[in-house]
Amino acid sequence: MKLKKMIKKYFTLFFSFIILILLSNYTYSVEPEEFLKNKEQETLAREITKNIRCLVCQNQSIDDSDATLAKDLRILVRSKVKEGKSKKEIYNFLTARYGDFILLNPPLNKSTYLLWFLPIAFLLIGIYVIYKFSRLSKKL
Amino acid sequence: MKINFITIPSLIFIFIVSIFFYLLLIDRDPSEIPSVLIDKKIPEFKTNYLSKNEIFISPENFSNRITLVNFFATWCKPCRDEHKYIKELSKKMEIEIIGINYKDDAKKTIKWLNELGNPYSDVIVDKNGKIGIEWGVYGIPETFIVDSNKKIQFRHVGPINKKILKNINLKINEIKKND
Repeated sequence: MKLKKMIKKYFTLFFSFIILILLSNYTYSVEPEEFLKNKEQETLAREITKNIRCLVCQNQSIDDSDATLAKDLRILVRSKVKEGKSKKEIYNFLTARYGDFILLNPPLNKSTYLLWFLPIAFLLIGIYVIYKFSRLSKKL
Repeated sequence: MKINFITIPSLIFIFIVSIFFYLLLIDRDPSEIPSVLIDKKIPEFKTNYLSKNEIFISPENFSNRITLVNFFATWCKPCRDEHKYIKELSKKMEIEIIGINYKDDAKKTIKWLNELGNPYSDVIVDKNGKIGIEWGVYGIPETFIVDSNKKIQFRHVGPINKKILKNINLKINEIKKND
C-alpha cells in the first residue's frame, strides 16, 4: 500500500514536470506590444518570422530570439505585412540585404545544389553498398 | 570486384575528411556571413546628421571619392577598440569616412567623439536600426568600403585590427587602380 502511494506520488511529479516542459514551448520572445490586431496578418507574420534566421544567434529564428536585431526584424516584417506586402516580397526584401542565409529553409539554387542533393547521393551510395554487400555475403 | 567494394567508400571517406581538414586549416570565421551587397549600389535612405540641422540623403550625399562607412555606437566596446584604426585611416587624404551612429544617444556620442577624437567626415544617425538593416548589418562595428561609383566593394564585420587595417588599405589601393 505504501509502495503504491509512493509510485503515485512519483507519477504525479513526473507528469507535472513533462507538462511544464511542454508548456515552455509556448513561451515566445515576441513581446505583447508587437502583435498585430488583425489575426490573419498576425498569423502570416508569425509564419514568416519563424522562417527567418536570427543572424546574431544563427541557429534560432527571429520568432524565438531575444536579440535586438531579431526584434527589429520582427517589427519590420509586421509593418510590411500591415502594408499588404506578400510573403514572397518580404523574403525578397530580406534576402536582398542579408542573402539566402537569412532563410531557415534555403531555396534551391546554384549555391545550394550540394545541400539539397548530397543527402540523396549518399542514400544512393548507401543502397548500392548494401546491395553489393548482400550479394557478396550470399556468395560466401 | 572486391577491390571496388572497399575502395569506393574509403575514397569517399578520405575525400570528406580532407575537406573537413582543409576547412579547419584555412583562416576563416564560419559565423561571418558574406555580404550580398558587394558590387551593388549603396542603399537609399534619409536621415539626420548628428550635429548639423540638415538631412542626409543617400546616395546623393555620398561624394565621388572612395568612402568608408563605419557603423558604431558608444555602448559598443569593440567600437572603442577600433577607433584608433579609424583615426589612422582618416589621415588618408583620398578617402572620406562616414560614421553611422547606430541606436545611440546624441549627447553621449558627441561627448565620446570629443574624448576619443573625431575621424569622421560626417556622422549620421540611425536611431532605430533601420539603416543598419538596409546595409545588411547584423553586429556592430561593421565597416564598408564604397567606391567612387557609389558601389559597395568590401564589408568587414567586427572591430578593425592591425590585420584588417592592412586589408582595408590594400582594398582601397585596388579600387583606386581600377577607378
